Parts: sequence; structure tokens; C-alpha cells
Amino acid sequence: MEAVIEGNSLAVGLGEIKVSREPGDVLVAYGLGSCVAVGVYDPLTRVTGLLHAVLPERTNGADPQCPKYVDSGIAGLLQTVEQLGALRSRLVVRVVGGANMLALSSFKQALNIGERNIAAARATLSGLRLRVSAEEVGGNKGRTVRLYVANGRMNVRVLGSETRDL
Amino acid sequence: MNATATAGFDERLHDLLRIMASEGIRNAADGLASMIGATITVADPDARLVPISEIAALAGGPESEAVGIYLQVTGDISGQIMLVMPYPKALELADLLMDEPPGTTTQLGSIERSALAEVGNLTGTFFLNAIAKRLKVDARPSPPAVMVDMVGAVLDIIVAVCGGVGEHVLLMQGQLMRDDRAVDLDFWVIPDPATLAAFAA
Repeated sequence: MEAVIEGNSLAVGLGEIKVSREPGDVLVAYGLGSCVAVGVYDPLTRVTGLLHAVLPERTNGADPQCPKYVDSGIAGLLQTVEQLGALRSRLVVRVVGGANMLALSSFKQALNIGERNIAAARATLSGLRLRVSAEEVGGNKGRTVRLYVANGRMNVRVLGSETRDL
Repeated sequence: MNATATAGFDERLHDLLRIMASEGIRNAADGLASMIGATITVADPDARLVPISEIAALAGGPESEAVGIYLQVTGDISGQIMLVMPYPKALELADLLMDEPPGTTTQLGSIERSALAEVGNLTGTFFLNAIAKRLKVDARPSPPAVMVDMVGAVLDIIVAVCGGVGEHVLLMQGQLMRDDRAVDLDFWVIPDPATLAAFAA
């Protein structure tokens, strides 16, 4: 498999979903803290999608596919990649993020959003019978995640560490 | 709720917030000056309303390294305050605080971190006092938490908390000057809707 060094980077901002099947594209969620990114990749069609969700559960009245929330965002992500031709049973699913940025302080109790985001991602994916093939979650460091459309490679960068594949 | 929060920031409120930013940051500088025993002045204080989606870009891009000092506010008014500065600026500030020549501090050890926490504590408290005095309310800051990480990750805290409240945050900016040395400070103030109503009243 050819390694893609750098492609056309598509930034996936807070509360956004980006999808692509262009082999030169790289979907990137920069600086995830408590936010969670869910990446899906269909190896046959190369349809690739990345969600950057902020909060665990959608509030009453929010769009059932609203990408701001983990639960509705996953629903939106799946629908979008399926429209592009991905097949759910083939999807490689990975979850990154959900750090607790205030781990060492007294705010932990009140603001445990990272952990709640991870729990929501696991519960939603398991409810949809989607197996998570890899995770890099929790801890107290921010992460940048890249998902390469060409081959489905995903890597994670943490400040002060080597970028590593997931 | 979002519509209310945005509509609440009319021209008159904006002017008031500018005045409060100016008073708050000047007051914070006085606090800092007494901590380090030197004259600290403030240049160009300003306040404006910024969409949540743009704050990472304004702070140098979501992946750049930054220092965030975070406080929660409780009392008659509540909300959050975060000071964000790019990592190199935090090193400059540490030099300025410890009266070292620029470039002396090359990384943030525990002493530098606690000095920055104290900056957050002092500036936050003095800033809040100025606002509380003007509004004639009681407001107390929590102890500060210092984070060194990617801008996006540091800002996730305030984004997550206001995710359910509003789509805009209040940005107050100022430049701290000691002799000919200057450090830019950004305060992100995230008032809850009741606090915003108190501002507007």
C-alpha cells in the first residue's frame, strides 16, 4: 500500500461532518480536546467520513442528525457516507478524542464532557451494531486526527510526541 | 436562546462591554503590577462578540500550542473566563513576570506554570471585581486551572459548556506593557444568559 504523505487537507471543524471519496483528500480534525472524532472508511468504495462532535447527546428539538452531538452526529455521518455508496457492514470505524483537559483540577466533576462523549460514541455505535476497530480516547492531551481517503490510514498527533498510526 | 443571546448584544450593550473590558483589564493590570512590584500599563483594550466557530483561528489556529488559564465564575452572575495566549507569548510573559531578559524562559516548568496560574487568578479576580462593582453584584472566581496544549483542545472546554447556551462568546483583548515590553492578553468571557441579561439591564 502506498503511503500518502500529504494530500488535499479538508478541515473538519467543531460540530461538522466531512465526507470524501477523492483519493487525494485527507480529512483532518485539529486540536480535539474533550470533543470526539468518529472516522468511518469503506475499503471497497473508499468513501470516507469524519465527524467532529462537541457534546454527547442531542438536546430536545435538535436535528436527529445534528453533527454537534455525538449520538445524532454518528447518525448523520452514516447517512452521508451511505448516500455516497458506502456499505455499513464494510465500514472501518475508529474513535479519537474525549480528553479531560481539566484532569488535575477541581472542575473535573462538573465538566466531565470528554468521558461522556466517549461513552456516547461507544453506546451509539454499539446500538447500530458497528464494531470499533481502534480507539485513542481519554487522557488529558489534545489530539489532531487525520484520515486518508486513499487508503483509510488514520493517524493521531499529540503535542510533544511522534505522530502515530491508529 | 441563541437568538436572545445574539440579539442582546446591541450597540448600547457593545459600548458598555467595551467600557467594562477597559476597566476590567486596567484593574487586572494594577493587580499584576502590585504582584511583581513594577508599573504595568494597558494598551488598546477592546471587547467584541465572536462566533464560537472562529475562536480557534483567532487564537493562532486549532493545532498551535497555547496556554489557557481557566476560571469559573459564581455568585449573582455566573459564567467562565479563559485567558488564552500562544505558547511563545506565555514564555515572554513568564520572563516579564520574573524580570528576566526576553528569551530566558524556554519551557514552562512548575514555577512558571504557577506564576501563570497566579496571573490568571489576579487578572481574573481584578477583572471580575471591576465588572461586579459596575453592576453592583457579587461574583467570585474559582481557583485557576492552567492548561498547555493545542488551542483547539484548550478551547473545547468553553465550547462544550456554551454548546448548550449560545453560539457567541465575548472576547476582551488588551496589551500589557512593562517599560518597552508588551504581552497581548485575550480573555474569553462566556456569560450565561442570566448574566448577559444583567449586563444589558
